[in-house]
Amino acid sequence: MARRTFGTKLAGGVGITLFLTLIMGAAAVAALSVVVDAKDDAIRVAAEDLVNAERLTTKSESRISNYRAFLLSASQTSLDATNADREEFLGLMTKLRGTLTDTTARNLLDAVSAAEVTYAAVLQPVIERRKTMDDLREISQLNVSATGPARDSLRKSIADLTTRVRAEVEVSRKEASNAATRSIVVIVVLGVLAMAFGSLVAAKLSRDLRREVGAAVGHIQSSSAQLEAAAAQQASGGQHQASAMNEITTTISELLITSRQIADSAQRVSTIAEETAEAARNGDATIDQTRASISAIRTQVDQIVQHMLALGEKSQQIGGVVELVSELAEQTNILAINATIEASGAGEWGRRFAVVAEEIRKLADRTAGSAKEIRALIEDVRGAVNTTVMATEIGAKSVDAGARQFDDATHSFRRIAQLVATTNDATREIELSTKQQSTAVEQVNVAASDTARVTRESESSAVQTRQTAAHLSNLSGDLLNLVGTGRR
Amino acid sequence: MSPNEVAERLVGLREEFDRSFAEPARRHDEEYAELLAVHAGGRPYALRLSQASGLHQNRPVTPLPGPQPALLGVAGFGGAIVPVYDLAALLGHAVPDRPRWLVLAAGSPALALAFHQLDGHVRVAAAEIVEEAAGDVGDILRGMVPLAGGTRPIVDLPAARALVHRLTGHTERTEQER
Repeated sequence: MARRTFGTKLAGGVGITLFLTLIMGAAAVAALSVVVDAKDDAIRVAAEDLVNAERLTTKSESRISNYRAFLLSASQTSLDATNADREEFLGLMTKLRGTLTDTTARNLLDAVSAAEVTYAAVLQPVIERRKTMDDLREISQLNVSATGPARDSLRKSIADLTTRVRAEVEVSRKEASNAATRSIVVIVVLGVLAMAFGSLVAAKLSRDLRREVGAAVGHIQSSSAQLEAAAAQQASGGQHQASAMNEITTTISELLITSRQIADSAQRVSTIAEETAEAARNGDATIDQTRASISAIRTQVDQIVQHMLALGEKSQQIGGVVELVSELAEQTNILAINATIEASGAGEWGRRFAVVAEEIRKLADRTAGSAKEIRALIEDVRGAVNTTVMATEIGAKSVDAGARQFDDATHSFRRIAQLVATTNDATREIELSTKQQSTAVEQVNVAASDTARVTRESESSAVQTRQTAAHLSNLSGDLLNLVGTGRR
Repeated sequence: MSPNEVAERLVGLREEFDRSFAEPARRHDEEYAELLAVHAGGRPYALRLSQASGLHQNRPVTPLPGPQPALLGVAGFGGAIVPVYDLAALLGHAVPDRPRWLVLAAGSPALALAFHQLDGHVRVAAAEIVEEAAGDVGDILRGMVPLAGGTRPIVDLPAARALVHRLTGHTERTEQER
């Protein structure tokens, strides 16, 4: 029951009470119908059977009167009336036989029928004799002594029947009264039950109302107090929040300005990156030209080396020829010296020959000197050639190294170009993102403004809530007083 | 050496050559001395050409076994076998390099002295030569001569022959021949 709501309890109690009331009404209707049936039965017995029994007496007396009138006047009319009375009497007998239910009454009715047959049998010879008689003074000849007992027997049997039917009527009346009394008792019991249950439900509902509603109202009171405190706290928090939201709005505005500056900077960076990419493409063409120039330099350096080596070889050949010349000069010198030696011992002619030999020796000396100079020059040339070849080979190696470094530089440059392209894309993304960010920040700004407004509204709502909570606390106190229970 | 310089030298040579035919015949007498400037054992010397009978280069020298370290071997000159001595070894400062020049000393017996380098044939006035008397036995240097590049001692070839003879034990005969 504790889980059920108070409305359920109320509905349940009222429903059960209503059900009992319905049962009570149905019982009352049933009792009324029983009483009505009993009374109808009593009335039917009283109205039909008793009246018909009384009418049997009446018809019997009417038949007797008409019979006596026939005996007096011997008129056919009286005889017909007597016969009509007998027919009606028999019709009443037949009707009673259809309606009577009591066995004793049926036996009494058979007795009446038997008495009437006996009485008719007694009357018939009398009627025949009266038809033949004309003088009333001979009336004594009618021999009517037998009709008296038959008539009394008939009357007695009819009276017995009437008495029996009357007794039945009394019995039916009493049964109907008893049924009505039982119905009254049942209705009264049901009414008492309904009242008792209603009182029980009312008491329980009242008790539950006091207990549960009182507890709920107590909770409401404490909750409203807490709500009041919370509303007060919320109001102060709303003030703080409103000031914080103002600061947030200001900060977001600064952020928006910064974001726009970032977007502008990103756009400038994007432009610069675009120009850099263009310069990188131009640089790529320059790199290809430079590569071709380096290849041409490498080829020319190789040719220089070849030419220098050929030059060295030629100078070496020249050196060989100069050695030959030098050798010739030396041999000439030796010959001149020997000629001088020979001439010194040959007199005057020898002296002249010695002069010629002297000149030859001088020429040989000079030739040797020139050859020596040539050799020195050739050595210089060879040294220069070697130096040049070495320098050229170093230059070639430098060119190769430079080419490799240039390849590296080219690779780096292309890498830089790719990175510049990537940077360009990234910068565009940054630009786009920053624009989206600016839009988002604007939306955030709008949302922050809305939030600030909502916060102010919330603050005022909190104040109203605090007032409402205070009012609710007072109302709950009033309700506790109204329910009539103290705080548990 | 620039081409102009070479051309100038060429012109000078040509003029000198032409002039040599125009000059009067020089006298080849006592006023002048013909000298060979040589290097032996890395030192400069001079030889009198009048004391020589021939100058040769790169002649094959057949080594001979013997006790004289200065004797390089023998060589053939004009059908004669001539002993070859190292001038530097005779002068007392032998070097391991094998000399490639040979000078034949005039007179007999025939003798060839080997030296390492021929510096040239010079003709100097006799007055420039500082004469020197014969020194100790074994000294083959006689006088000095100032030449371009420094003063050189003069190797006396007869003294060298005498030294060789003395080393080989033919002193008297040599003295007689002289």
